[in-house]
Amino acid sequence: MDARLPLNSPQMDMEQPAQTARVWDLPLRLFHWVMAAVVVVAGVTGFLAPEWWLGLHVIAGYALATLLSFRLVWGFVGTRYSRFGSFPLALGGLYQHLRSIVRTNPKTVIGHNPAGAWMIIILLVALVTLVVSGLIALGGQENHGPLAAATGFLAGEMAGEIHQIAAWGLAAAVAVHLLGVFAETRIFRHPVVAAMMIGRKAPPGSAVNVPRSAHTVRGAAWFMAIAGALLVSGITLAGLPSSGWRALDTPAVYVSECGDCHAVYHPSLRTGEAWRSMMNGLENHYGEDASLDEQTVSIIQAYLVDNHAGTFDTEAAQRIGRVETPSLRMTDVAYWKSRHQGIAESVFRLNSVGSKVNCTACHTDAASGRFDDVKIHLPEKDKP
Amino acid sequence: MSFFAIARLLIVAAVAGGSAWSANGPANAAMMQDNIERYRVEAKALGQGFEAFSAERGRILFSSSPAAGKPDTPSCTACHTTDPAGVGQTRAGKEIAPMALSRTPDRYIDVKKIEKWFRRNCNSVLGRECTPLEKGDFLTFMASQ
Repeated sequence: MDARLPLNSPQMDMEQPAQTARVWDLPLRLFHWVMAAVVVVAGVTGFLAPEWWLGLHVIAGYALATLLSFRLVWGFVGTRYSRFGSFPLALGGLYQHLRSIVRTNPKTVIGHNPAGAWMIIILLVALVTLVVSGLIALGGQENHGPLAAATGFLAGEMAGEIHQIAAWGLAAAVAVHLLGVFAETRIFRHPVVAAMMIGRKAPPGSAVNVPRSAHTVRGAAWFMAIAGALLVSGITLAGLPSSGWRALDTPAVYVSECGDCHAVYHPSLRTGEAWRSMMNGLENHYGEDASLDEQTVSIIQAYLVDNHAGTFDTEAAQRIGRVETPSLRMTDVAYWKSRHQGIAESVFRLNSVGSKVNCTACHTDAASGRFDDVKIHLPEKDKP
Repeated sequence: MSFFAIARLLIVAAVAGGSAWSANGPANAAMMQDNIERYRVEAKALGQGFEAFSAERGRILFSSSPAAGKPDTPSCTACHTTDPAGVGQTRAGKEIAPMALSRTPDRYIDVKKIEKWFRRNCNSVLGRECTPLEKGDFLTFMASQ
């Protein structure tokens, strides 16, 4: 920041009161910095953290949804320079502005300059795309959140792809934004960062202060109303039954007979055909005799076949359960392999894991068939 | 009520509760003996000069590696560990409670369960059914552990 322009010094204000004007209202400034912090959290948890950090990523997403909704409303009801109507979006103006940057003599602009205004539109579009695609992906792939009842897995998966593209788009836009801020402050000596913190700018020509306290109260009221409405509707929607997953009434004999030797696999992890052949071949069940009496076989087979992979619309059912393998093993499915390729063989050999088919060792919710990202818990190394 | 009266009452209650709790152990052992008795009747009925079950023969059966059944299960100890008091692990990764009666007192109560596991595991390890003599020897060994 330029030390020659201590805009927030009260002494300066007294000496040259007409030099600066209040441009950015407090609600807008708070929005900007809180959103920047939330985007950092969302970016770090989205790009860098492992899957089981999804919980924090989603909280950041909900916060962004609230902040963005507020910003979009504030763009119509806020103070002068917060309103989208005041944005200099005319292409001619943008061209002039870019030309003045190339000639290294851009003017100080009282509100947003044309490049900045377009930057904000691009950032807002990317952020709204991220929030919407993220909610759809969360509902479709994880069967969680306000859209779980309305979204199928395939829609969720497609939204997930869009979410990734938009995330890279946002990362690029943020980079350009920071470059622009750097150029403004360091090269052209326009203290735009200070302006976004204290709200004041030294404008060319006449200075028009935007009102202060009344708008702060109004902004807080709008924010509370928007946050409240989103919270109530979000919780209501999230309470609806998920479209892809349902709780099952598991027969006790299934848990006791099959669960004696291996994890209690959810019926949605194999097709009805696969379950039938498995139950017909228990005498040689992956190298062991696992035979059961006829009555027990028929109870277990009915449960498995009635709730086969085709009756669930979860990631596990769609990508693993519905894929037939000659061995009937789910660990032979390409998707299973690709999702577990980052896990060292030694992890599967830990005493607490024992084998690749012991899903529950890491997927703590495997018995429910959900396989939520947030429920993944890699085991610690064996104690000596 | 005096302090001593209360203390005596508490001690009586504790002793009664404790004996009721530990009574399960002998009851489980008795039920296991009933099952061994059943195999004794079967073994005698075969008329092959049966005299008595032997814990030592049971130990040898448990510890041997016949490798006569399915290739993945060459011996009992492959999953149950060589120590009857040890915690085993299935090939799929599940824990198996110790085989020794002293460690898993309620293991040998249910006839159906005992028969199910002899049927399956004798076939997996030996490639055939176990004889009443082998079953009785095995249980006698585990009862002593």
